Amino acid sequence: MNTCMIGRGLPRIDAVPKVTGEAQYTVDLKMPGLLIGKILRSPHPHARIKSIDIAAAAQLKGVRAVITAKDVPDNLFSFYQWLADKNILCGEKVRYVGDEVAAVAAVDEATAEQALALIDVVYEPLPAVFDIEEAMRPGAPLVHDDKESNATWSVQRLFGDPDKALAECDYVVEGTYVTHAVSHTCLEVSNCVAKWDEKDRLTVWTNAQAPHTQRQEVARILGIPRRNVRVINSYMGGGFGSKLVMDMKVPIAAVLSRITGRPVRIVNTRSEEFATGKTRYPYTMYLKTGAMKDGRIVVRDLKLIGDAGAYHDKGPATINFSSMMFGTLYDVPNIRFEGQLVYTNKEMGTAFRGFGNPQVTFATESQLDELAVKMGIDPLDLRLRNSNCSMGTTSCGAEICGCGMTDCMLAAAEGIEWERKRTRKDENALRGVGLANMVHTGGGGRFYGFNSAEAFIKLSDEGTVTLITSALDMGQGAHTAMAQIAAEELGVSLSDINVLSNDTDLTPYDLGSWGSRAIFMDGNAVLAAAQDAKSALVEAAAEMLEANAGDILIEDGKIWVRGSAEKHDLAEIVEHTVNEHGSPISGTGRFVDKLPEGYTIATAFAKNIPCFSFGTQAVEVEVDPETGQVRVLKVVAAHETGTTINQTMAEGQIEGAVAQGIGFALMERLVHEDGRVLNDRFLDYKIPNIGDMPEIEAICVESEGTRGPFGAKGIGEPGLVPTAPAIANAVFDAIGVRFHELPITRDKVLEALKEKGK
Amino acid sequence: MLAGSEGPVKALAGGTDLLVQMKLGSLQPHALVSLRDVPGLDFVRLDEDGGLVIGAVATLAALENSPDVKAAFPAIAEAASYVGSVQVRSRATVGGNLCNAAPSADMAPILIACGAAAVITDGRAERNVPLEDFFAGPGETALEPGELLKAIAVPPSPEASFGKYFKSFRSAMDCCTVGVAVCAAFAPGSMIVRDVRLALGAVAPTPIRARASEKMLIGRALDGTLIARASVAAADEAQPITDLRASAEYRKILVEVLSRRALTAAHAWAQKGAAA
Amino acid sequence: MKRELHITVNGDAHHLLVDTSRTLLEVIREDIGLTGTKNGCGAGECGACTVLLDNEPVNSCLALAHEAGGREVMTIEGLASGGVLHPIQEAFVAQGAIQCGFCTPGMVMSTKALLDRNPDPTREEILDGLRGNLCRCTGYVKIVAAVEAAKCLLLEEEPG
Repeated sequence: MNTCMIGRGLPRIDAVPKVTGEAQYTVDLKMPGLLIGKILRSPHPHARIKSIDIAAAAQLKGVRAVITAKDVPDNLFSFYQWLADKNILCGEKVRYVGDEVAAVAAVDEATAEQALALIDVVYEPLPAVFDIEEAMRPGAPLVHDDKESNATWSVQRLFGDPDKALAECDYVVEGTYVTHAVSHTCLEVSNCVAKWDEKDRLTVWTNAQAPHTQRQEVARILGIPRRNVRVINSYMGGGFGSKLVMDMKVPIAAVLSRITGRPVRIVNTRSEEFATGKTRYPYTMYLKTGAMKDGRIVVRDLKLIGDAGAYHDKGPATINFSSMMFGTLYDVPNIRFEGQLVYTNKEMGTAFRGFGNPQVTFATESQLDELAVKMGIDPLDLRLRNSNCSMGTTSCGAEICGCGMTDCMLAAAEGIEWERKRTRKDENALRGVGLANMVHTGGGGRFYGFNSAEAFIKLSDEGTVTLITSALDMGQGAHTAMAQIAAEELGVSLSDINVLSNDTDLTPYDLGSWGSRAIFMDGNAVLAAAQDAKSALVEAAAEMLEANAGDILIEDGKIWVRGSAEKHDLAEIVEHTVNEHGSPISGTGRFVDKLPEGYTIATAFAKNIPCFSFGTQAVEVEVDPETGQVRVLKVVAAHETGTTINQTMAEGQIEGAVAQGIGFALMERLVHEDGRVLNDRFLDYKIPNIGDMPEIEAICVESEGTRGPFGAKGIGEPGLVPTAPAIANAVFDAIGVRFHELPITRDKVLEALKEKGK
Repeated sequence: MLAGSEGPVKALAGGTDLLVQMKLGSLQPHALVSLRDVPGLDFVRLDEDGGLVIGAVATLAALENSPDVKAAFPAIAEAASYVGSVQVRSRATVGGNLCNAAPSADMAPILIACGAAAVITDGRAERNVPLEDFFAGPGETALEPGELLKAIAVPPSPEASFGKYFKSFRSAMDCCTVGVAVCAAFAPGSMIVRDVRLALGAVAPTPIRARASEKMLIGRALDGTLIARASVAAADEAQPITDLRASAEYRKILVEVLSRRALTAAHAWAQKGAAA
Repeated sequence: MKRELHITVNGDAHHLLVDTSRTLLEVIREDIGLTGTKNGCGAGECGACTVLLDNEPVNSCLALAHEAGGREVMTIEGLASGGVLHPIQEAFVAQGAIQCGFCTPGMVMSTKALLDRNPDPTREEILDGLRGNLCRCTGYVKIVAAVEAAKCLLLEEEPG
């Protein structure tokens, strides 16, 4: 493909404002009359609220409003509304340490904090459940009294005949794998500003990954019409899923603003962010894999229990998605999946980069290595033998179009020097290499029903292009990618494109940035809009230059007739058609991604995914047998991009995801005691710093067949999915110890080595 | 000013411990007295006899980067470079690190191992306290009301001596999980240990010396077997707690490992000298 | 208790009345109105608030505003000159070292402090100089590349 723009590592269009400090994030916005809101949160994991006395708080000088449950709508909320289970403010009882009980708005932060301290809440502590075993015991205290048990939502999937396959296959491996709660730790904490105007419209400034969805959620919980809600994003200091579902601070700020008649800002402290913010769902997984002598994996049986925390949020959606990825990898003909969500009295989970897939892949790819050991074959060979087909449909219905899986494996293996390092003896006895595969969506999913995107382009009379897109840039570079796509199609340079976004009053309805969908969905819409604008431009040029439309060429902002030496600026053409004919030039693009005929969201399963993305990571580690420290020396991450839109940005996504994967595998862990998070600071919740990083080789593997713009698919999440099992597999290669639980911390390594030595 | 006041008054040096504790609510002093502009407290200098005097308000950055310290007491400069980040070290002071008196105070082990003394003043008179006796408990020092730490006095390095600080998992902002510092003086040209101090951080209510371990080593020729025994002894002397960061058992293991590494490094250094 | 504070920020003199308990970060963002310096944790653990105080990098969330009295502060806004990016900023942009950008001001200021005191740092020295700046988006790979590139740009600029 002959392109000028696609694939090049062009600098981001928003890099300069960020590097000069000009870029305004929501937390930087200034507004006249702004009040500071603060939330009073439950100190108990489970308790009945007996009484709340706000009198002293309300009378404090500088306090403008104090609210409790009786001052807010009684509506319940969850991401799936039919599973709604959370109020804006707790009325009867609190269900986790951090549950919102009351809120104040005051003239400054110190006053707001003082006011919180003056609110007198009398609690009656209740027995609580902190893990899934406790929660599922018969007679366990119920987190939600209107439910029969803490085991709330569940799903089962069945393809083929797993029992028969398990009985008839040549090798079976089974095991239990456990992953844990980790925090997104965006550098910008969760925050918002809410303000009503004189027409009773609410504007919310917040860092929402899905502004249009957030608008619906806010309207729903407040019980107001959607047309009265506007969500405005600013530059966004990270998301990773934490800002996908509405946070209660938004309706709380809205109510405070309503009462005071002034804009109200609420910002999490970092401690609040760690201790009460939403987490990745901890999964406990019981997994069986069965294979034939020839290496074919013929059956996989997974029973998964997800710890929801105190409320549903994205729990069901996460488990659903986990099941689709589980079913698709390696096209195993017999699949059983059972997913169970369980309430506990802890902070709730939510979407987190990978969306259940990193957890499940830790189990499946660890077990695959265990299978390889049992079968006496090389783990790379076993995986190569089971590579997903290049085209076609898997047994669970996943439609694979464009699959570079084998290329990814070979690239990763070569990069880590698999052959040499797996067979080296003693030269470095405590080093090991391991690898892991993954599949993920490269284009979001159809499972929320509507899955489309729209974009608008208009040309000004001096030739600049305005692109209006709903693609949400939380740092991953979506706006730059959209601009590149538009620039490529129109034949202009990147600096000619001005991207407008971030305002639900302006942008078309869209589901937002999650599931690595922006490039595929929004990108296709932008491409269509650019094609539409281009054809109008070509027509205008043909008329002005008295040529056939088919002979009009556009490149680098210049238009000319094929064979002619006279090149015109875009601006000339646009000016001419506007002034002579009164015809402004613009384009509309729409990309509608429908479920295949005959399927519904419920029955489609993996057919909900428009585009799959495969990848492989190979890792080399070194273990210090005296301290148990696992040091990652090198990661080779080979991931599909279909067509790479921006090489630098794609690498950046992979590298950042690998860093999070290393944190997930080795370093990060929220430590609870009686439901309370103990490590609510960066000091004690360690994320990788610059000195912790290994050498990372990020390889973008291109392949044909994807229906994304110029053949591209999403790369936002895949980089995080296989890192943990690749590390676990490398650790096994290094010291012969298999870890079934994350994180693999030093003391666990030492203990395991001691056991092994016995 | 510190003595006479209506409520608790805290001296403020770099603020990298004190301000954090105030923000977290664990300390609520009535007033802060800034020591930064008090003249004569922020120096780092070598004496004619080769000893090092560090003003209480000297920053860790000053200590880390001082050419004098790097030349004459490299282990101290290196230990300073292990604390926090560049930003923290620009402001954090030696005195602050010691007076905050966390069991994990990063500067304590190496200074104790070097035989340092705390120079304490009440504005009129001065008194010296061996640094290992300066710590009374977590967050508590030997300072009486109205007294300030004025400086740390480090005696000149003995002939043929080796010193180094070993900190577990040197990652920035790491509140030391375990720290071991050694200062060993050898009989010139031999492996015989003339004198040794082995100081442990973060494994007791205060930084401590592993005295039983030291006794085992003095007067003996340092070798692998002795190193192993002395390291086990050091681990036995440690009384670590189990907390969020590590278990007591794991900390004891680390004491043994780091003591072994420290003594092995001393051994390697002495071997070069003995061979020469 | 409020006291007069005379402080120079990015070359501009400011005369303010500031409560003695306020931090340098608060005064920079709220009183002076420069919001490029970010609050990431408030405890000196993430480096997002890094500014130069008399050319030394400090966590402004842990410096009391009055401690900067009579001294010179440089924030991210003071780095570019007359609309022209500083070579460090150019390098960060060119190398793709910026994703969400929230850690960027602090990261850039730490880089400036590093290259000012050590114009030709080794890779270890680069890692050491930036260890106090956390980033959640980039995995640091392109940040290191940017510092190496900036180092070269600045060494090229050296007269003679």
